[in-house]
Amino acid sequence: MAFAPILRGLVWGALGFLLGGGGAVLVRLLLGLPAFQPEPLITIGYFPGLLGWLLGVGAWDVWAREWFGLPVRREAVYDWRRYFRFTTDHKVIGVQYLVTFVVLFLLAGFFAMLMRIELMAPGPTIMSAGLYNHIMSMHGIIMIAVAVAAIIGGLGNFAVPLLIGAEDMAFPRINALSYWLIPPVAVLLVSTFFAGGFDSGWTAYPPLSEVNAPGQVLFNLAVITFGFSSILGALNFLATILRLRAPGMTWRRLPIFVWSIFAASFISLTATQFLAAGLLMILLDREAGMTFFNAARGGAPLLYQHIFWFYSHPAVYIMILPAFGLALEILPHFSRKPLYAYPWLVAGFFGIVFLSFIVWAHHLFTSGMPDYLHGPFMATTELISIPTGLVFLSALGTIWMGRLRLKTPMLFALGFLFNFLIGGVTGIFNADVPTDLHLQDTYFVVGHFHFTIMGGMIFALFAGIYYWFPKITGRMYNETLGKLHFWWMFLTFNTTFIPMFWLGLFGMNRRIFDYPPALGSVNRFISISAFLLGSSFVVFVSNMVLSWARGPQAAANPWQARTLEWQVPSPPPVHNFPAPPQVVGHPYDYGFTNSVHALVGVSGGSGEQGVDTDG
Amino acid sequence: MGRHYLKAAILWILLTAIGEFLALRIPLFPTAAAEEARIIDSSFILLMILGIPVFTFVLAVLIYTLSTFRSREEAPEDGPPVHGRPAVALLWITITAGLAIYVIFNPGLKGLAELRANQRADLVVRVEGSRWFWKVTYPEYGITAREIVLPVHRRVRFEVTSVDVVHSFWVPAFRVKIDAVPGIVTRVFVTPTQTGTFQEDYHFRLQCAELCGLGHSMMTAPVTVLEQGEFDAWVGKAKP
Repeated sequence: MAFAPILRGLVWGALGFLLGGGGAVLVRLLLGLPAFQPEPLITIGYFPGLLGWLLGVGAWDVWAREWFGLPVRREAVYDWRRYFRFTTDHKVIGVQYLVTFVVLFLLAGFFAMLMRIELMAPGPTIMSAGLYNHIMSMHGIIMIAVAVAAIIGGLGNFAVPLLIGAEDMAFPRINALSYWLIPPVAVLLVSTFFAGGFDSGWTAYPPLSEVNAPGQVLFNLAVITFGFSSILGALNFLATILRLRAPGMTWRRLPIFVWSIFAASFISLTATQFLAAGLLMILLDREAGMTFFNAARGGAPLLYQHIFWFYSHPAVYIMILPAFGLALEILPHFSRKPLYAYPWLVAGFFGIVFLSFIVWAHHLFTSGMPDYLHGPFMATTELISIPTGLVFLSALGTIWMGRLRLKTPMLFALGFLFNFLIGGVTGIFNADVPTDLHLQDTYFVVGHFHFTIMGGMIFALFAGIYYWFPKITGRMYNETLGKLHFWWMFLTFNTTFIPMFWLGLFGMNRRIFDYPPALGSVNRFISISAFLLGSSFVVFVSNMVLSWARGPQAAANPWQARTLEWQVPSPPPVHNFPAPPQVVGHPYDYGFTNSVHALVGVSGGSGEQGVDTDG
Repeated sequence: MGRHYLKAAILWILLTAIGEFLALRIPLFPTAAAEEARIIDSSFILLMILGIPVFTFVLAVLIYTLSTFRSREEAPEDGPPVHGRPAVALLWITITAGLAIYVIFNPGLKGLAELRANQRADLVVRVEGSRWFWKVTYPEYGITAREIVLPVHRRVRFEVTSVDVVHSFWVPAFRVKIDAVPGIVTRVFVTPTQTGTFQEDYHFRLQCAELCGLGHSMMTAPVTVLEQGEFDAWVGKAKP
């Protein structure tokens, strides 16, 4: 049965939950406390429940059995059912991630539509303030998860081993484990609707997050689980890129997307723990009566904000570095020119990684932290524009004098440049302490981060989806629908978010259910734009579904690109390459005569004579 | 080849001129009713003036590239094999670093110094946030109110705190914001320069700017700036 592993995971998960929850009840009885308190019961029951789910869904069969001397059980499933299993093939895991996060993106986008309906006119429109706060918080955290994991987990998993000429990731079972940690995250977040919701945004600042409804506990558990998945994924990418590059794939020949995943993984591996620690401290405050953030009993609410942003600012570079990599991966192939200033760009990535760790307190300029910290954090923040500037140097140098092929992936990559430029320039206003005193926590900030994350990361994600669609599915998407999707989304995205800068300046703060009546007409305009933006995804989804089902067969290399993944059939065979490819040149050397990136299928002598095309 | 650079440069200059013209002509700010608002608005304008050429540079290259360097469908070919010279990257880094460092000093540190130059206050007003209303007290006069009333041209020190969750003190007409954090007292200075009331202009309002739960968006209080004589009269009436 197709869904047997998932059903077994659910049953084992429920058993684990009952075991843990039962234990909690027992301990409470022994301590003489009221036995049935939902919050501690859920918190304690969750972890054995999670373990039960993971073992049941497949970790027991393909992994844990060998710890007890039993033979592992692997089914050879190669049809659609493999997507519902604890499969270890990186290409399957990539698709699992990608589809999951596109669905979550659409769900969180739907929440955004509900918010825009509510904000169409001042005063209550369709929902209560409490429900609005919950929907807004859900929109925030789900989109953050999408931004962190859609490119890395989805396209990174699919493409990185192919791009470096590897057979799979370094730790295929850990890879499957990182993916199967994601469904519990989604289930927990959706369950908050049955637990009173949570109204503290994705930032969960205490004391608010310690006094609100039990939904907050589910949120904390979800984000801690998600963080665990990120850390495991990052570990896997670092090991893969360090150890599994094909012969000749030197660091100077590494495709730029791989570099960006490497840089982002470094942040993921080393910063994510801080968020988990902060959320755990909130759980301990709530369930065990500890007082990390309780001012009345000696705690410090500001402490949380530092811990939170110590992860969450580097996290925006976990989101945007792979987006840089993806856009810059696509630009050379569709400009038919080498990637401009490649070594400088790589240095820029690592400049961003370094600086990302020392700018977190720019989120705290109005928090009441000591004044003398403002100057230093403003300075480090402004300095990030230097390595980020190298991304623009490289992008503009690549397209300048190129032979541009304006296919859908290229349009999205160029759209990324434009949007991220607005996101970057408006970021300066937030980094500057004097202007930030006014702009902090207003719609100016909402506009800014939607330009960087949606205009940047999400546009790059779509660029990548269209770019690798033929490789992933073996079929070609519809180019007309793709271009329609781009222009529709690009124009309505800009008309939705540009007016938000004005709103912020004119006194509309963020995360509000109601606003001064004078701001009604601009909000109505934004809402209508937002509905049009939302409807553009109908074009996207129908293109994807129809093309995957009935699109024309895709060639192995429809873009005449030089990188390794295009030198194998679409979709690639299970073990990717007939033999380890021999890398002999740069990946982006378009225009050089007789230049070759790699020899595929030669040393093994088994496969296609995949000598590199020169365009 | 040189022609392309020249044309793109002309496009850049043109776009910059249009951008600067618009930035200086379009009203960007609501009522500025305090000395702090003047400092903050002029910081904003300086950043606009500096940011527009950066924005239009990229925009000009994008527009020019898209309109000129298209691949011909009938005869696909590759572009020139250029990796980029170190000199260009170094020049680029020098310019971006120069801009970034300049912006740190002006308007950044300069604006901060102006905002913090004067630590004396003519009047102290304590503001306490609790879900979901503001309590305003004037220790000098023994007044407790649900609104902020200030005399014009007098430097005020707000001492802000919270009794429950984190709130944030924000008056859009003054441009300043400071969180109200339980357990600590935060401070912000404001020197009103213009009279006004919430009834005439919604930017004269104290708005909670940090998510604090159900009543967050409704957590406001009116702000009034009066001439000194009118303020004294208000104090006389409001005194218990």
